[in-house]
Amino acid sequence: MPLSTQSQDDEEHYVLVASLDNARNLSNILKAITFKDHAVFTATPNGLKVTVEDSKCLQANAFIQTEIFQEFTLKEDLVTFQINLTVLLDCLNIFGGNAVAGTSTALRMCYKGYGYPLTLFLEEGGVVTVCKINTQEPEEPMDFEFCSTNVTNKVILQSESLKEAFSELDMTSDVLQITMSPSQPYFRLSTFGNSGNAHYDYSKDSDMMELFQCTMTQTNRYKMSLLKPSTKALALSCKVSVRTDNRGLLSQQYLVRNDDGQICFLEFYYCPDEEVEEEEEE
Amino acid sequence: MKCVIEGKNAKVFGRAVHALSRVGDELWLDPTVKGFLNQSRILSEADSKKLALRSVNSAQSAYACFIFSPLFFQQYSFMGCVPKQSSKTVKCKLLMKSLLPLFRCLTSIERNVECCQISVSASSDWVIIQFFCRHGITKTHNLRFQEKEALQAEFASHLCTNVLKAPARLLGDMVMHFPVFQEEITLSATPLRFSLRNYEESGESQVKMMYTEMSLHPEEFEYFHVDVNSEITFCLKELRGFLSFTESHCLPVLVHFDSAGKPVCFSVEDTLFEASVVLATLIESKSTDSIQPVGIQVHATSRYVDAAALRVHACEGHGETGRERITSSQGSTVSPQPDPIPPLPQTQQANKESISVNTSPASSMVCTLLFKALSSEHDDNVCAATPPVLAGYSDEEMMEEFCPKSPSL
Repeated sequence: MPLSTQSQDDEEHYVLVASLDNARNLSNILKAITFKDHAVFTATPNGLKVTVEDSKCLQANAFIQTEIFQEFTLKEDLVTFQINLTVLLDCLNIFGGNAVAGTSTALRMCYKGYGYPLTLFLEEGGVVTVCKINTQEPEEPMDFEFCSTNVTNKVILQSESLKEAFSELDMTSDVLQITMSPSQPYFRLSTFGNSGNAHYDYSKDSDMMELFQCTMTQTNRYKMSLLKPSTKALALSCKVSVRTDNRGLLSQQYLVRNDDGQICFLEFYYCPDEEVEEEEEE
Repeated sequence: MKCVIEGKNAKVFGRAVHALSRVGDELWLDPTVKGFLNQSRILSEADSKKLALRSVNSAQSAYACFIFSPLFFQQYSFMGCVPKQSSKTVKCKLLMKSLLPLFRCLTSIERNVECCQISVSASSDWVIIQFFCRHGITKTHNLRFQEKEALQAEFASHLCTNVLKAPARLLGDMVMHFPVFQEEITLSATPLRFSLRNYEESGESQVKMMYTEMSLHPEEFEYFHVDVNSEITFCLKELRGFLSFTESHCLPVLVHFDSAGKPVCFSVEDTLFEASVVLATLIESKSTDSIQPVGIQVHATSRYVDAAALRVHACEGHGETGRERITSSQGSTVSPQPDPIPPLPQTQQANKESISVNTSPASSMVCTLLFKALSSEHDDNVCAATPPVLAGYSDEEMMEEFCPKSPSL
């Protein structure tokens, strides 16, 4: 990759250097969480985590493991900064967003540390572009304290079955109600719109249901507007895990395969809109 | 009422909803119904197992009806109601915008739906539509309905003087040639010729207009019975929705019609269902001149401007003719053809000769003509009359043709 135009000095000063032969392996996954302008980048020896939050009720995380990168050098245990995600995506797609067969944009992302901009070296077809994007003081991402010990219900579904349901959801409904139960209806998505209500039931024996672990009947409502961003993630993914904990917090984890078949994860946390004890009567 | 529709028929049901959505904004669901075309039959046990879907447009100039026979359903039960006690039947009116999204993607229904169950509860105001899909997925939609008196148009098809039976696709293929925005078309039939042409309001937009006319020889039809030469103008939009339904089932289409002003009915019949659309036609009025009719010109107006005062002028320079302005089904005002039914109206082109009824038509012929601005003979200022409603001799008479009354068809 002809990006060796940097001087040796710079190399020593970077606390983070991450390279990808195909920048789409990063940009595609970031597109799924671009519902807000700003994102917090956190680099650890495990890889890169990008966090976007909305109104303290929704948090989205994209995980790109170290193995995805062709080069991943970290001089500190934790490197974190905040950056404008829209601008970053524009830069990653600077050679045009359309994927042309056989060509890809190579990326080398470098960061000198606190106060320095994020430098992107992008190359395609022998043309090199250098972008420097200002970074900001990172806001502390919310900690939803969602841990597996508190998980009451968990299902893993093939994304295909959910994609259709989400495309048909009645958008006149303010909320999406999710019911998970060890008995009927097992896993139910409900909307309450202007013309009536709708329920999408997934049986625990469905061949779309890869895992079904529900210990108690729970019904929670989540704002429909908050769930919209996750439809992009759903579209990219092949599997999704849906978990709720004892507080009604919802966690969705999407398994995404990138262009090279490698696995990345997208994770969304939602606060419930309100607790609903009884199911809506039909 | 509860009925179960098998997967492949769910798509047919969905197509019917699509066709009805092109007619009106509301859909009437009627679980007990007589056959549409056999009005004289006494309601029997078998009749009580039919399900009708009906819609009418806001101007009440188009009405569509789909009746599904007992064979269409895997199961059909109608509890708590005897056919003759019509007061206990539940007739629901649903909003099209609530129902249509459920059937929006027909390919997805075909692929996934194993069966569809529709139930109406008389005690509550819900219609419950359930799709039992592959992979153990169930979709349940609860739609609120309004209980309404039955909607049914009065149309005595057996009294129509002209009856045609067009093979499947024939009408659809003809109608395909008209631009998507074409509002009205004129159907012209004589014992020797059948033609469809677009009906345009003219005016400043004349320069940009394109006239399309298609003619067919009676031999193209499975059955062609024209007693009275007839020229009727009606809305194309509602017909298109119906024709896309009939084409997908390859069914021949029956056309019952009469003279201008009387409704035209397009219908199809199958072992599983009957479907029909009844459209109002433009009324005609007597003209003071017996001129060679050369088509009507009306200043173009916004389709949705209601009863705007339009000026009408004759094409030939024989002075003003009395023309009645009529509101079309979409609210725009158009003028009718003069009475009596003339030889097929001459189109605007100066060089074109009037088409006489007796010329032997060629077999299928399509002419698409581009027009230049009209000659100076045209009079821009013509009579202004109060616009009556489309397809009625008066509003009251029109209402007799199309009003939601108890069935007497």
